[in-house]
Amino acid sequence: MTALRWIAACLLLASLTAGTIADTRPAHAHLILGGYYVMAVDFHVHSFPLSWATLAPWDTVPEAGRQGLDAIAIVGHNHVWVSKAGRAFARMAGGPLVLTGEEIVSARYHLLAVGIDSTIDWRQPAARAIEQIHRQEGVAIAAHPLAQYWPAYDAQTRRALDGAEVLHPIAYGSGELAAQLRQFYNSAPLTAIGDSDYHGLGPIGLCRTYVFTREESQSGILDAVRRGRTVVYARAGRAYGDPALISLAAADGRLPRIASGAASGVSPAAGFLNAFSRVAGILGLTAAAVAGLVTTRSR
Amino acid sequence: MLNPGAAYRFLAQQAQPPPGRSGAWLSWRKPLLVAVVLGCTMSLITSASLSLRLAGPAAFYWGFVPLAEIAALAAVCWRAKRSPFGRTVDLFFAGHGPWLLWLIGLCAIWSFVPPIHAFVFTRVWLYGAGAIVIVWSAYIDFCFFRFAMGKKPARASRDLLVQRLVSWTIIVAIFGGPAIVPELAAQLGVRFGP
Repeated sequence: MTALRWIAACLLLASLTAGTIADTRPAHAHLILGGYYVMAVDFHVHSFPLSWATLAPWDTVPEAGRQGLDAIAIVGHNHVWVSKAGRAFARMAGGPLVLTGEEIVSARYHLLAVGIDSTIDWRQPAARAIEQIHRQEGVAIAAHPLAQYWPAYDAQTRRALDGAEVLHPIAYGSGELAAQLRQFYNSAPLTAIGDSDYHGLGPIGLCRTYVFTREESQSGILDAVRRGRTVVYARAGRAYGDPALISLAAADGRLPRIASGAASGVSPAAGFLNAFSRVAGILGLTAAAVAGLVTTRSR
Repeated sequence: MLNPGAAYRFLAQQAQPPPGRSGAWLSWRKPLLVAVVLGCTMSLITSASLSLRLAGPAAFYWGFVPLAEIAALAAVCWRAKRSPFGRTVDLFFAGHGPWLLWLIGLCAIWSFVPPIHAFVFTRVWLYGAGAIVIVWSAYIDFCFFRFAMGKKPARASRDLLVQRLVSWTIIVAIFGGPAIVPELAAQLGVRFGP
């Protein structure tokens, strides 16, 4: 059993060393297209605690930078205080930009309130929640608007929304759910949003929105969302959003290449170290679990 | 893990550890292992690698899980005369194998499956394997109360229920937070407000 413990310790140490060496923030060039700053934004990021999320704000923010995001909205489930903690940390750490917000989780709808400072009560109809978001100068985005949530948004309420998630990881598991997101997006003049709904599984910004802003700030991003200046890339190069901006990006070529991951900026050496880290990590954890739990029995 | 009744009967007969420093280490070593595995899990499932930047802090704040379990265990076993509380903690956490394997499985999915497909695997793992682990670990914990703590079957079942109710309530409240009420309402078809 002692030998197994040593093996576990060595594997975990090797895994941590390789993973930590490879844990760098890739070089990220700022893209300017047609006079706009093109910012990669994930508007639907959750942080520990109180939102079924695994990473605390001070871990979430650097991880977003590592995934090449320029800004994230940390949206607590029916609260904003973790989001404010994230914003304070991001200011100290020098980015990426954190937009404060809340995911209003009601029994009938889920609604992202981005750019707000005070918690909005979930015990009210979506239309009234949207009014309150706008009163705080935030933007209202329908979160994963699947068919079960459609009754909460009548035609007038849909027009009051600023945007809707047309791309969300939920779409990866089911063509039918992906179609529901597209149908809701097409049901009103809404800004296209792609979000990862990050709770800790997979990378932040797995689905993301490219926002065409006049300035690299919270107000610049919110203004762009209100004016519909976004592009979202789905798999197989399919794009949603402002047709003029999609054409502009296609003619330039850089943004679709970045979105496809072809320009991720991860070196082959870092890729190898990450691969080694994950294999050694899994083996080390398994050995540690076996050694740790069987120890008492052998005493 | 596979024969918890026999294992706990065997462990209960082992000599008591000496009090003092080694006793304190005995009470913390397995909760620490759980916290370390949780921290490593958080790093692997989000970045598909094990980095000190993510695993270290996550192991610290996810330490609330073993702490909640120890608090709940204290609620039902504090007055147990059979063994010191440190030894009780050590024996209780010896039954965490199924949970650790479940976490390692989750790590393996997010380490080796592309994210686009990993969500589908995760759903199966979280709910399918999760249900098995809940039942399996409940049986192990029942054997802990029954054979390591020497409780009668009815009392062991009651202690198991109380321990889970207390610890899981704390864990879910901290992890899930204010959205639990509307999420439950949505499941139950209850409507709030106009």
